[in-house]
Amino acid sequence: MFRIAWLFFRVGTLNELQYRVNFLVQLLKSLITLGTGIIGLEVVFSHTTTLAGWTRPDLLAVMGVYTLMGGLINISIQPNMTQLLEDVQQGTFDYVLTKPADAQLQVSVRKVQIWSVTDILLGLGVLVYAVTQLKEGPGLLQALMFVALLIMGGLMIYSFWLIMTTGAFWVVRMENILELFQGVYQAGRWPVAIYPNWLQVGLTFIVPVAFAVTVPAEDITGRLTGATLLETLAVTVLLLALSRWFWRFGLKRYSGASS
Amino acid sequence: MKDLLTFYVQSLKTSIMSTFQYRTGQAFYILGMMAEPVIYLVVWSTIANAQGGSIAGYTAGGFAAYYIIWTLVRNINIVFTPYGWEWRIQRGELSGMLLRPLHPLHYDLSFFAGMKVVMITIWLPIAVLLTLVFHPTFNATPLSVIVFVFALVGAYLIRSMLLWLLGMITFWTTRVGAIYELYFAFELLLSGRLVPLALMPGWVQKIAAFLPFQWTFQYPIEALIGQLSPVQLFEGLGMQVLWIAGSFALLRLVWHFGVRHFSSVGN
Amino acid sequence: MTDSSAYDITVGDLYKTYFVPEREAGLKSSLKSLVRRKTSAVHAVDAISFTIEPGEVVGFLGPNGAGKTTTLKILSGLLYPTSGVVSVLGHTPSRREKDFLRQITLIMGNRNQLQWDLPALDSFELNRAIYRIPQADYRRTRDEFIELLDLQGLIKKPVRNLSLGERMKVEIAGSLLHCPRVLFLDEPTIGLDVTMQRRIREFIAAYNKRYNATVLLTSHYMADVETLCKRVLVLHHGHLLFDGNLADLSDRFAAYKTINVTLEDASVDLAAYGAVIEHEGERSKLRVSKAEAPRITARLLSECSVIDLTIEDPPIEDVIERVFAQEQPVA
Repeated sequence: MFRIAWLFFRVGTLNELQYRVNFLVQLLKSLITLGTGIIGLEVVFSHTTTLAGWTRPDLLAVMGVYTLMGGLINISIQPNMTQLLEDVQQGTFDYVLTKPADAQLQVSVRKVQIWSVTDILLGLGVLVYAVTQLKEGPGLLQALMFVALLIMGGLMIYSFWLIMTTGAFWVVRMENILELFQGVYQAGRWPVAIYPNWLQVGLTFIVPVAFAVTVPAEDITGRLTGATLLETLAVTVLLLALSRWFWRFGLKRYSGASS
Repeated sequence: MKDLLTFYVQSLKTSIMSTFQYRTGQAFYILGMMAEPVIYLVVWSTIANAQGGSIAGYTAGGFAAYYIIWTLVRNINIVFTPYGWEWRIQRGELSGMLLRPLHPLHYDLSFFAGMKVVMITIWLPIAVLLTLVFHPTFNATPLSVIVFVFALVGAYLIRSMLLWLLGMITFWTTRVGAIYELYFAFELLLSGRLVPLALMPGWVQKIAAFLPFQWTFQYPIEALIGQLSPVQLFEGLGMQVLWIAGSFALLRLVWHFGVRHFSSVGN
Repeated sequence: MTDSSAYDITVGDLYKTYFVPEREAGLKSSLKSLVRRKTSAVHAVDAISFTIEPGEVVGFLGPNGAGKTTTLKILSGLLYPTSGVVSVLGHTPSRREKDFLRQITLIMGNRNQLQWDLPALDSFELNRAIYRIPQADYRRTRDEFIELLDLQGLIKKPVRNLSLGERMKVEIAGSLLHCPRVLFLDEPTIGLDVTMQRRIREFIAAYNKRYNATVLLTSHYMADVETLCKRVLVLHHGHLLFDGNLADLSDRFAAYKTINVTLEDASVDLAAYGAVIEHEGERSKLRVSKAEAPRITARLLSECSVIDLTIEDPPIEDVIERVFAQEQPVA
């Protein structure tokens, strides 16, 4: 399974590498987005020293994770899910079904927008800088945990997005709902703690933004509790299982419907 | 003049009918757009409360008012995207417009104005909901409401023309992504969209005073929520008129050269 | 010196030149081109002159890239000429004066000007406002077109729900509501089925007659040209190769006839009668000059045992091809 994923990744990347201009444009866009984000942070911290208990380096770390996660999403999750939605709407999804590899695997890894790696690099840069500013830098265990949490967060967002896109098998015009998600994801720039409780619940469970961004940031800034860790693990597994099940349910319906 | 009015009326009708068909998509888009101001609102209210009630003259309620009206002004600000010019030229749409005895600016102004009509009907219930949740404090007076309506029109006109100017760069080059992104970034910071300008450092506010951005965004908001004195209200309208006239003059100039270039090199 | 006022369209010594970077293959030339760009001039339109009188229906013929569309765009004001005189209805098109634009229309096949999501009728109303058509005139013209083109059931449906042919009909109707005096039609029947093509041709002919409008038409379908145009302008590589009647073109150029003859005896060699272009069993095709055709036919009939014999005019396409092959203007 990993070999197939790797092959797809290679082809997708080689395809994208042809368009070198994209890299510069993407870099500029990422820089501008990051720049305005940091300026926003600076404005906030010109009026206060902490926000719901989070200090400036803490929030910089959050911004780093947000940008990093955004990069992961834009490299793989977003292009693949967008393509899947298009395929289902245009009827070209059948080509996927005729290939011997597992359909879910195919639709999840076949597209790569490699230039979004700029977001990953920029995010890492900001994160590293933020970490140096912290009173207590993370230890090795924390750093390893961080990577694990990132992966889990990515998997959660992937599962969530897959569930939404699978909905296209029933409700063809799903892009509106997906646009909603894009808007809500922005909430991840700030630690979930600042939002009123009811909003926090929405952000954590309905749209797993909190898990993807806040939790890894909590780890890096030394706030992570064991409970949160277990919760994250549980929700990751749950979402993965749910998305897989829903996907296969949707496939059955799709294959049954078009005969 | 009367004929131009006839066109606007007809075009508005057409636009409303056309946009109405896409109202579901619009509704979702507007909903999704709410995330941004709600986030700002929450962040600043938190800070205001922590700092003893208010910062730079805004209480939590004041921020709520600011960002709720923000959502209306943001929607009014949506006009033809400069990125659309390349698309328009390639599809031959621009040529089609050039063949008609009417300046294409009128198409965009009238069409997007029609979209606003549909937009407002979607926006209203959402705004009511936000008001119930976030408890904004308004100090509006009848005068400020009237000025607000004019300010909205002014904001719409200014931004339409500024983005037209940006779009016309496409006549000379298609490598415009960087310019546009930079422009939007500056606009975000200097228009009052990210934060009310009063919260920005003094030197930023001074720079912003010379730019048109705040007149498309912050000024209408402040007019309605009651932050401005009557003198300031009218000064603001005056500034808007200045910027409308200025950008219009520049637009005509650039359009003249743009069309000349376009017609010389072929399309 | 032609008196422009007598003509709807006057074109004198028109040039449209593009400068194209020239580069040979190879590393050395690539490096050289970095320093000094050599450009060569490509004449999309090369010294063309013609005049058109009010009410004429003129066909523009030529292969792709001949300069037809370029010329139409120059005449409608979309493209600036490099040099030369262009006058349409007394105006200089490139000035794009409102009075000028109100009297012309450019219709390109496959281009949508009407609102996609709305019934054509709404787009018609919009055009009325754009062109400032008085209400009474608008209603009269609109109803006339509805009848001529059989649009009754179509104008209330959203344009996106119409078939290609139906869409073309409403597009044309919409483009003519302001009763322009000059029509530029660029491949108006492209992609349409035969019935629809005929419909549109009939409409254009009717419009031309009713309003004495001047029509310039480009098309790849000879049927369009043969039915509508008495006069044709043949362009190739930007040059005007022929300007005159379609009938003259054929006479001048392809002054031959094709004789299809079926004989009883398959082995007879007909080379003595004319150029044999095909010989299959009993059937042969002979090419003979127009002047000689009657005499040769008589000879064949008397000297051979003929089962069947037909005489064909050269197909217009062949004629045109010969004109292109010539590449020198035919006076």
